[in-house]
Amino acid sequence: MHGVELSMENISVAYNGDITVLKEVALRAKPGEVTGIIGPNGAGKSTVLKTIFGLLSTKTGAITMGGRDITNLKAFQRALEGVSFVPQNRSAFAGLSVYDNLLLGCWPFRKDKARIERAIDGIFERFPILKEKRSTLAGSMSGGQQRFLEIARALVTEPKVILLDEPTAMIAPKISKDIYALTRDLADQGATIILVDQNVRQCATISDRLYILELGRNKAEGTREDFATDGQLKEMVAEWMNYKIDV
Amino acid sequence: MNELLLQGLVNGIVVGLIYALIGVSLNVIFGVLRVVNFAHGEFIVLGAYGAYFAQAWLGLSPLLAMPLIFVVFGMMGYGLYFVLVKRLARSNDPEHASLLVMFGLSLVLGALMLLAFEADARSLNFTLDPPFLMFGNIILPTTKLLGLAVAVVVTGALAFFLYRTLPGKALRAIIMNRDAIQIVGVDLNHLSALTFGLGLGLAGITGILVSMIFPSFSPFIGQDYTLIGFIVIVLGGLGHPIGAVAGGILFGLAEQTAMVFFSGTVAMLLGFVLLIAVILIRPAGLFGVQNSR
Repeated sequence: MHGVELSMENISVAYNGDITVLKEVALRAKPGEVTGIIGPNGAGKSTVLKTIFGLLSTKTGAITMGGRDITNLKAFQRALEGVSFVPQNRSAFAGLSVYDNLLLGCWPFRKDKARIERAIDGIFERFPILKEKRSTLAGSMSGGQQRFLEIARALVTEPKVILLDEPTAMIAPKISKDIYALTRDLADQGATIILVDQNVRQCATISDRLYILELGRNKAEGTREDFATDGQLKEMVAEWMNYKIDV
Repeated sequence: MNELLLQGLVNGIVVGLIYALIGVSLNVIFGVLRVVNFAHGEFIVLGAYGAYFAQAWLGLSPLLAMPLIFVVFGMMGYGLYFVLVKRLARSNDPEHASLLVMFGLSLVLGALMLLAFEADARSLNFTLDPPFLMFGNIILPTTKLLGLAVAVVVTGALAFFLYRTLPGKALRAIIMNRDAIQIVGVDLNHLSALTFGLGLGLAGITGILVSMIFPSFSPFIGQDYTLIGFIVIVLGGLGHPIGAVAGGILFGLAEQTAMVFFSGTVAMLLGFVLLIAVILIRPAGLFGVQNSR
C-alpha cells in the first residue's frame, strides 16, 4: 500500500444549493495513519467522506491528494486516481458473485487482464473466506461477509486513500473486531485511511489522529495522544461521547 | 386440431421471441435508467422504415441493414441520452417524469413519421426461396424461420454481453444498486448513455424483424408495440433483462395458440387475461426481484 496525503481546506457543502451541511471544514490525512472522524449524529461525518469521494460537490474550498487538486474531479475520476470508498449502506452487488463483485472493483484497469488476475489473487490470499465463496452470490452471504467483500473490493485497486464509513455498523462484534484489526493493519502497511465511526471507543483506539465535527464544522482535532493528555479535549469527548480516551 | 395447435405453438415461439426482443430492450432501459420509454414502439417502427429505405435507396437486404440500423440507432440513443434522458433519469421521480415526456416524444415521432412517410401501410419486398417449409403438416414461412434465427442470435448475443462481459456485468450492477456503481470507478453517465444507445439499437433491429415477419407497418402501430413491450416486461419482471425473454415467449404462445381457437381480438384479450393473472399471483413478474435502489 502506498498512501498519499489527502487534505481538505475550507470545504463548504450545501444540499439543493441552500441547505449548508459542511461549513469551512478542514482535514488532513497522512499515509500510514488512520484518521478518525467522530461527532454526534448529524455532525456531517459521512458528508465529509462523500465530499472527498466526489459524490457531493463543494461550494468553497479545495481537496488535494498527494499535492494534486482533485476538487473538480467526478466520483469515477477520483476512483481512477486511487480513492476507494466503502459507504455505510450496502454496496455489494447482490445478484453478482463474489468474483464478479471483485472483478467490477478492477474497473479502473479493466483492460489489463494480468493485473486483474494478480489483484484478485492477492485479495483471495488476504480474505480466504472470499476465495471459498468466489462463486456465491453476494446477496446470499451474511452481513459481515458482505462487508468484507465491500472492503476487499475497495482494496483490489491498491488505493492511495481509503474512506471507510461506519464499516462495523450492524455487524456482529467478532467481525467488527476483525474489521478494526484489518483497518489498523492496512494503515501500518502505508495506506491513508479516513474512518468515520459512531463507535468512539474503537475509533479512538485505532486512529492516529482524530477530528471532531459538530453541526458541519470542525470542533476539535489532534493526535490520539493529544486527546488522551489534553484535559480540555479529553473532557469534550467524555462529555459528548460518554467515553474517555486513554493512551 | 392437434396440427393447428402445433402450428399455433410454433407461431407463438416465433412471435414470442420478437415480443421478447421488444421487452428486453425496453427492460434494459428501464432497469438501468428507471426511464419508462413510452416512445419505444415508435423507434421500432422507425427501424422498420430504416430497413425499407435501406432497401429502396441502397439496395440493402434487411439482414444486411441490421448492423447499419443498430449502429445508427445506437448513436442516436447515445446522443438522445444527453439531450433528454439524462435529466429524466436524474429527476426525483424518473418513472413518472419519463412516462409523460416519452409519451410526448411518442406522439411527436408518430406525427413526424406520418408527415414524412404518409399514412399508407408499407411492407418490405423480401422473400426467400422456397417461401415455405413443411414439417409434416406444419407450414412455416421461411422469412419467419429466418426471423426466429435472427431473434435467437440477437438475444443470445445480448445475454452473452450482459452475463459474460465486464461492461455487461456493470450494466446489471447498475440495475442492482445504482448508487454503488460509481464507487468502483464506473462513469455512470457514459454507461447510461451506452445503455440507452443499446436499447434503441435493439429497437431498430426489432423493427426490421417486425417488418420481415408481420405483413405491413405504418406510423400508427408504434404504440401497439410499446404496449406489447410493457406487457412482456411486467410478465417477465420489471428491470430483469432476461425475464423479458420468458415474458415475451409466454405472451406470444398465449396469443398465437388462442388464435387457433378464437378470433384475433379474443386472442389479444386472452393475452391480457394472462397478464392480469400474473400480476395477481406474482406481482413482481416471473423473474422479478425487489430492487435495492
